[in-house]
Amino acid sequence: MISRWMYISLVILFGFLLGPFVIIFMASFGANANLAFPPQGFTLDWFANVFETSQFIDSFWISLQLGLSSTIVSLVMGMPVAYALTRFQFAASGMVETVFSAPILVPGLVVGFAMLNFFVLLGDMHVMTGLFIGHTAILFPYSVRVISASLRNLDPYVEDAAVSLGANRLRGFLLVVLPNMQAGIAAAFVLGFITSFNNVPVSLFLSGPGVTTLPVSMLSYLEYYFDPTIAALSTLLVIFTVLLVQTAERVLGLSQFV
Amino acid sequence: MIRRPNQTRTVILLVAPAFVFVLVFFVLPLIFLLSQSVLPEDGGFTLRGYVDFFQSRVSRVVYLRTLKLGLIVTGICVLMSYPAAFVLARMPVRRRSFLMSLVILPLMTNAVARTFAWLIILGRRGMINQTLLSLDLVENPLRFIFTETAIVLGLAQLFLPLMVLPLVSAMENIPNDVLEAARSLGANRLTTFVRIVVPLSSDGLVLGATLVFTGSVTAFVTPAILGGSRLLLMSTLLRQKAVILFDQHAAAVVAVVMILTTLAVNLLLRVLRVQQV
Repeated sequence: MISRWMYISLVILFGFLLGPFVIIFMASFGANANLAFPPQGFTLDWFANVFETSQFIDSFWISLQLGLSSTIVSLVMGMPVAYALTRFQFAASGMVETVFSAPILVPGLVVGFAMLNFFVLLGDMHVMTGLFIGHTAILFPYSVRVISASLRNLDPYVEDAAVSLGANRLRGFLLVVLPNMQAGIAAAFVLGFITSFNNVPVSLFLSGPGVTTLPVSMLSYLEYYFDPTIAALSTLLVIFTVLLVQTAERVLGLSQFV
Repeated sequence: MIRRPNQTRTVILLVAPAFVFVLVFFVLPLIFLLSQSVLPEDGGFTLRGYVDFFQSRVSRVVYLRTLKLGLIVTGICVLMSYPAAFVLARMPVRRRSFLMSLVILPLMTNAVARTFAWLIILGRRGMINQTLLSLDLVENPLRFIFTETAIVLGLAQLFLPLMVLPLVSAMENIPNDVLEAARSLGANRLTTFVRIVVPLSSDGLVLGATLVFTGSVTAFVTPAILGGSRLLLMSTLLRQKAVILFDQHAAAVVAVVMILTTLAVNLLLRVLRVQQV
């Protein structure tokens, strides 16, 4: 059934998907500043430049804080929603599901723009608070969906057994359900963190003077400079992501949740 | 199941915090946006903004270009992933899961990094121009950046995984027996693929097409880097109106048109999917 040209199409697909990464990788070690191809010579100067550019270092810390805090809050608030959706049957469940999947249906740039206008209306809001709210809102769909999937895999009778043996609902949840959901929670965490860490459209409008996320500061760097520093930074980010994703995949089987 | 006491109260308690958050910080801003698009700062309710949008040649060109490029990108993604997804779906599990993690990898890297590669490939001194020059095929470097081709390539690379993933999971569910039956009844490979595999994986196709198309028509980073202000799409037009021209009313109109477009596509393709079942 599988012919030779189908294998060729597989090679083309992966060439197209991964080729750009190979090119970024090569360019980040090249000595010529104008990004001519093929790169000449070998240098680590561009990597040094990444660490000497305070714009990147500052925004990296902001992205890290933002990713961690918005992922944690969206999980803590999303988990009860997932629990209600999977363990109870109620009239408004369809509406609840729609509301919590809405943030991925609306274009990110529009979300950021609408929030910015709204926050201006509300008055003085710290830039970081605005970014945090924006990221948390767009992470709900991921948290609720991944945690729901993980809860559906767990037999509700296990929990009922705990309750019939005398635990109350909360205790049953904390001592029986939660430990069984570790993989799902960790997968939701990794997925949420990466989504926040890489987001540009929502952050674009919500960023302010001095408070910018890493991808947005990469984008604005590109407006002024055209040299391999971005390639070096991208190489570092790819390595960071591969390590994170491979660990998550090996330990948790991340791809079944994406 | 054991009887759940106070069900309604429990559900409300569980859902309320996140629900209020999404309502206040997500739904309200969108309602405010909608009101901004029909209530200019100097006057009452009017649909003038929308009329202006569709009457202005510039914004009409931008809107149609955005839809056109979205369709082209979706088409390219379908053609590139269909046969390859079939090979992936028929692979032994171990090899498949390794290759699938490579498919997911680009999704996990930020769009700026991924789009940057196209500057190196398509730039004045980029890979393609250097190759053409050294083969004496052209005398002067060609301009690829700030063209529709560049945006299409960038977007296709960005969203290809979103087509491959649903296709592979739809094709995994096609039993081998069905394919063997078709072959033994005399269908050749191509007929089997077109008449059996394609209809049985159409769910994945529709889902993938929805994701790729809506992603392409709303993406910001790729058109910003590869199109710039010379070749605007809806997203870059929105940013231009809001940040450079400071016309919040016109920007709100662009934003609402973007929302309505993605909603329409989602609804249309959802109807398609329901009809097939």
